[in-house]
Amino acid sequence: MRRTSRIWFSLWLVCSAHGWADQSFDTERFAQQRERMVRETIETRDVTDEATLRAMRAVLRHEFVDPARIREAYADRPLPIGYGQTISQPYIVALMTELLQVGEGDVVLELGAGSGYQAAVLAEIVDKVYTIEIVPELAELSKSRMERLGYDNVTVKHGDGYFGWPEHAPFDGIIVTAAATHIPPPLVEQMKPGSRMVIPVGPPMQVQNLMLVEKNEEGQVRQRSVLPVRFVPLTGER
Amino acid sequence: MRRDIPFLLPALFVVSAIAIAYQIALMRILSIAQWHHFAYMIISIAMLGFGAGGTLMTLLKPRLRGIEADTFYWVLCAFTLSLPACYALSQSIPFETFHLVSQRDQLGWLLLLYTVLAIPFLLASICTALALFILPQRVGRVYFVDLLGSGVGAALVVAMLFGFPPEQVPYVLTLPLYAIALLVGRRQPRRFRVPLILLAAGTLMIGLGPGLTPVRVSEYKVIRYTKQFPDAEMLAQRQSPLSQLTVIDSAMIRETPGQLGNYPFGTYGPLPRQIGLFFDGGSVSVAHAFTGDWERFAFLDYVTPALAYHVVDTPRVLVIGAGGGTDVWMGLYHGAEQVTAVEVDPSVFPIMRDLLHEFSGGLYDRPDVETVLAEGRGFLRARGGSYDVIQIALLDAFNAAAAGVYALSESYLYTREAVELYYQHLSESGVLAVTRWLKTPPRDAIKVFATLVEALERQGVAEPGNHLAFIRSWNAATVLMSRAPWTEPQIKAIREFAHTRGFDLDWLPGLEPHEVNQFTIMDEPVYYQAALALLSDERETFYRSYLFNVRPATDDRPHFFQFFKWSTLRALIREMGVEWVPFVEWGYIALLATLIQAAIAGILLVGIPAWVLRRQALPRGSRRSVGAYFTILGLAFMFLEIAFIQKFMLFLTYPVYAVAVVLAGFLVCSGWGSWFADRTSLPPRTLLRRAIGGLVVLTLLYTWWLPIVFDIGAAWSDAARVGVAFAFIAPLAFCMGMPLPLGLQWISHRREALVPWAWAINGVSSVMGASLATFAAIHFGFRWLVWGAAIIYLLAIPAFTYLQKRVQDAA
Repeated sequence: MRRTSRIWFSLWLVCSAHGWADQSFDTERFAQQRERMVRETIETRDVTDEATLRAMRAVLRHEFVDPARIREAYADRPLPIGYGQTISQPYIVALMTELLQVGEGDVVLELGAGSGYQAAVLAEIVDKVYTIEIVPELAELSKSRMERLGYDNVTVKHGDGYFGWPEHAPFDGIIVTAAATHIPPPLVEQMKPGSRMVIPVGPPMQVQNLMLVEKNEEGQVRQRSVLPVRFVPLTGER
Repeated sequence: MRRDIPFLLPALFVVSAIAIAYQIALMRILSIAQWHHFAYMIISIAMLGFGAGGTLMTLLKPRLRGIEADTFYWVLCAFTLSLPACYALSQSIPFETFHLVSQRDQLGWLLLLYTVLAIPFLLASICTALALFILPQRVGRVYFVDLLGSGVGAALVVAMLFGFPPEQVPYVLTLPLYAIALLVGRRQPRRFRVPLILLAAGTLMIGLGPGLTPVRVSEYKVIRYTKQFPDAEMLAQRQSPLSQLTVIDSAMIRETPGQLGNYPFGTYGPLPRQIGLFFDGGSVSVAHAFTGDWERFAFLDYVTPALAYHVVDTPRVLVIGAGGGTDVWMGLYHGAEQVTAVEVDPSVFPIMRDLLHEFSGGLYDRPDVETVLAEGRGFLRARGGSYDVIQIALLDAFNAAAAGVYALSESYLYTREAVELYYQHLSESGVLAVTRWLKTPPRDAIKVFATLVEALERQGVAEPGNHLAFIRSWNAATVLMSRAPWTEPQIKAIREFAHTRGFDLDWLPGLEPHEVNQFTIMDEPVYYQAALALLSDERETFYRSYLFNVRPATDDRPHFFQFFKWSTLRALIREMGVEWVPFVEWGYIALLATLIQAAIAGILLVGIPAWVLRRQALPRGSRRSVGAYFTILGLAFMFLEIAFIQKFMLFLTYPVYAVAVVLAGFLVCSGWGSWFADRTSLPPRTLLRRAIGGLVVLTLLYTWWLPIVFDIGAAWSDAARVGVAFAFIAPLAFCMGMPLPLGLQWISHRREALVPWAWAINGVSSVMGASLATFAAIHFGFRWLVWGAAIIYLLAIPAFTYLQKRVQDAA
């Protein structure tokens, strides 16, 4: 009996040790992949803002993807997260963050929390991020993820982003991650003078335009098409 | 034994009718599930089943000797069962068009989809081939019954699609088949017939029962996003042969015709609630809640099409494509004294008057709104009148437009001749407003501008630039064309409208370069540069060098949404990357893919039996002669049929009538021709010469006469126009119906083994012909397509002589 117990104990020890090793191996591997992602798919494509690059290196993207797709977490493509939504490709997240030109002390509004990844990247840079998600399940998931990962400067709310979040307005920057046929007028009103809004225009799977909306100190609004974004197709079933 | 089969010809009639009805219903189903032209692609390939039937029969013919009657019965039963079974199976195949480029397994699913959908066509084709075996001396009559059935089926399914949701049609269509199968199989043992009755009952119970799943819609269609809104509720669904209209209510539906520019949200508050009207799940129009508070509609003054109302006063307005009524409200908001709302979809007005009457404040029952169920151009030609504002509504969905899925659609609303017609129906101070979504890279709005410029020139306007204005928001552009040159106050009003709403001006007389690209800033002011080039002597150079085909569409080449150009493909790839070209111009690529796939499948379907026939002692050159003759007929028939369907579409104006009348007319009258060929005592060669001579002369006369007749007959009643169309189609189709049975008769009397092969060749070349016809129409226009068909038909005369010589030798 004692002998059997010893064998079981040894086996358990071996397995656990393997698990620990595996976990530590994963952590290290993800760190390497994250570094490679920033170096090869973001820095090489003209994203130079230090704060953005630091944030992209810091946020554990693999924590925001579906566990079944964890191995693809750092690939430069969007991944499905359920409910017909995706986590954007890393380059687009970095580019939109850089375009927003926000920094310490700023308050940012995000529409379309999705997985929460974009909010986490912003949370590494600014003081406060308010994010709204239309799908209740995703809003809940995103909220719990933020708590688990310690992003206490992110507030997630379930609701319709069209009307913004007037209680916390005006904002130093607004990021919209869902395409619309028009720029929601309430959002323009909630922009601080001198602030920016970044919004992708166009349908999924096709050529989208990344638009930058700027409100000058006089309150006048200008839009600029930053670049056509080539949406990378999904790689699996939703 | 061979002729001892009851109800053979009535059965063939039913099979042919149901096969074409099923094809049209599938086209509707696939248009709802995917996109119109992928539907076209899939159906075209599935239609190769007809060719495959011929191929299979070539291979099996020796084994079927003596058991044709039994085989016919069993194939008829299999065809009956295959309709719902293959439809249901096709619905479970996880094919997604937009994943084709990124997911390799999608190719496999596509192949499976083709195969599953081709099975019923294969079985229908076998039924016809068996009938040809059973009645070798009556080939003309068999072909007559086949065509007559097809004609009746085409007309019937159009009526059916008004009443039944498309997903029920494959089940309901089996009823006449079960009935005829029971009659055909009345000499079969009882144990074979009883299950048929049970199966019929079962099929109906599934098809009409509550458990039938609606058509599975692509996740990239607008309706799928909308249904995901937490508060989305489907209020109603209506069917018509034109579209499936789905009404969805959600507080999150917010569609505006072009972007809202600087809308003072703080002053006017949120937009009124909207209810979405989705057409085939891909295009959306909205109904607006109206409670009598006009201030809630102030947003309609902050969209690009509203510009029209800043240059005219208390206008009489014509809205083409009224839909849920956004443009109608826009006119009323701006003080229109009368708005005529023209809508082509028969489901829209009833839904708006019934279900959405209260919600929309009785919009379409207001005394200052007149509703007309018609196609816009047909209405204008028939009714006449002049308007101060003509609005062409923006009905196609943004994402559909962006993907170029309409590339193969003929749109007679955006042709140069259409714009000339609008111009003629503008009052002295009237304006035409055309709004289009903006695409990346730019093309739609540029083509609209080019069309307006050329139309003005053709109307004798010396300085078109003085009649045009072009404004742009971030995702939509409106081009305004005035009957009279802009006045100074009008120019000032346009500038002020654009400036206060944050819209960019891309053309206006006297526009300075520093005024452009102010609000939605592009790297280069592409639209302004294009407008300058189109109004200068550089126009032709611009057309040639621009990345896309932005030359105006014409009635002869009405493919407004076709932007793809071979000559700039390399530049497009350089700019976008090769993997993205399909996403820019999907429709054209789909057509190309169809043609390539059809060619490969065709080579196999024709090649395999040719190889098998090698082993038979056939006279030298007989296979070649049969191949040449039946390929010529397949191609030429489809060329003419497609060209004339398009031509008559413009005349009959209402597409549902057009397709039903023209297709049914063509098929029934061709059947009549083949019946005549069967009965006449004229020598085949003489008859063929006369038939082809007749159709060539008619074809040439029609290219000359039809535009005149269309012009004179534009104001006639629907019934008169249908009658005239039929009168023109009948003699032409009569002649077109003869060459095929003449050829079949010749070979069936001499070398019966070649009959199914001829049938296969005709099936394959018909599919190829349909794709090639679309290509030819896009690149050369319908006139050339018709002339091309006439020339190909002329080749049939020497081909028939060759056939007679080669197959005669064997007798």
